[in-house]
Amino acid sequence: MTHHVETHEEAANDRVMFGFWVYLMTDLLMFAILFAVYAVLHGNTMGGPAGRDLFKPELALAETLILLTSSFTAGIGMIAARRGIKRQVLVWFGITFLLGLAFLGIELFEFAEFIHEGHTMTVNAFLSSFFVLVGTHGLHITSGLLWLAILLAFITKRGLTKANVRKLALLSLFWHFLDIVWIFIFTVVYLRAFV
Amino acid sequence: MTSNGMSKKSHKPTPKSEHGTTRSYVIGFVLSLIFTVIPYYLVTNKTIAGSALLATILGIAVLQMFIQIFFFLHLGRGPKPFYNVVFFFATAGIIVIVIGASLFIMNNLYHNMSPGEVVRKQAQDEGISQVGGAQTGACQGNKDNHIVVIKDGVASPAHTQANRCDTLTFLNQDKGKREMVFGPHPNYHSYGGEDMVVLDDGRPETITLNETGGFMFHDHLYPNLNGHLTVAP
Repeated sequence: MTHHVETHEEAANDRVMFGFWVYLMTDLLMFAILFAVYAVLHGNTMGGPAGRDLFKPELALAETLILLTSSFTAGIGMIAARRGIKRQVLVWFGITFLLGLAFLGIELFEFAEFIHEGHTMTVNAFLSSFFVLVGTHGLHITSGLLWLAILLAFITKRGLTKANVRKLALLSLFWHFLDIVWIFIFTVVYLRAFV
Repeated sequence: MTSNGMSKKSHKPTPKSEHGTTRSYVIGFVLSLIFTVIPYYLVTNKTIAGSALLATILGIAVLQMFIQIFFFLHLGRGPKPFYNVVFFFATAGIIVIVIGASLFIMNNLYHNMSPGEVVRKQAQDEGISQVGGAQTGACQGNKDNHIVVIKDGVASPAHTQANRCDTLTFLNQDKGKREMVFGPHPNYHSYGGEDMVVLDDGRPETITLNETGGFMFHDHLYPNLNGHLTVAP
């Protein structure tokens, strides 16, 4: 009944959004397969320590809260971007970037500790599937941070152009998506180890 | 849905309902915080346990996913991104099949092929005492050795008294092959994961006594060649 009059630009934006959404869904499928692998193999420790002996739940909780907060600040930053307030965009996405960096730091600290203690990914099927699943998420976070850094540099230099706002919208979609994937890593990998 | 986009129907390109408002982000954030802390509390304090706890935390994770999809991704809000919703649910369907079917098939494999026995046997051979949190019964370091000599179709001594984790050596001094199995003829069962001890002539074969109790053993081909074994804990 209510016909929406689309401008060319809106239609183009929609297509880009849908394309990116398709990418996110295929990425989600990849994570689903890694989750299935972990679910099948997490008990195969070959007599070595299991998840409950290795994981620190308070560290995983800290990671979860940090990533969740960064997802929230990205959302607030996106509102500022749509209103065209450049300074706020830089502040909110700057916080998002720092929180993402903190998250990555904790994850790398955890990995380094495991490897230092000899729990490397070649030891057993549990550790292989753990490092692949959590590491793949970490790689996504790393690429998201690189993307964000470049985009913030663009915005600082050229301002909130339509193209920059659109890229920022895609990036925050990506970031929210990574937070949702992390909820399941937190639950299935870390919390489940202590059930 | 949101108060912002619906109330004023102007033609200005102001935030549409498919985009978030500060309010929607705050609600999503607070709800997500709550649904992060609750499962953490449940797991660390063990208020409930076992499969009920697992089902609860998985349920809360799915709930939090939908909260974030609604309040952060704004999926399905606003008139346009209908195909996004369709695509999302198609993907969700595939994910349920991939994960559900993988677990179903692998569980069935465990039941039907009983690799538990195989894993236990391998672990015992390599002296690994635990697999996946379960004791394999592997002995760490052997104690005494007992010898059963088979000569002229007779096993001597006919009765061996041993303790758990001792070793038992069969020595075949007859010509030909002996196939020692456990249990009274004709019902055999494996002992400590060992189905059969095959003795070529002259060659000793040693097994670790990792199951306690009284056991018969006999030659699978000549049931009269038999003996008895008691393993004390």
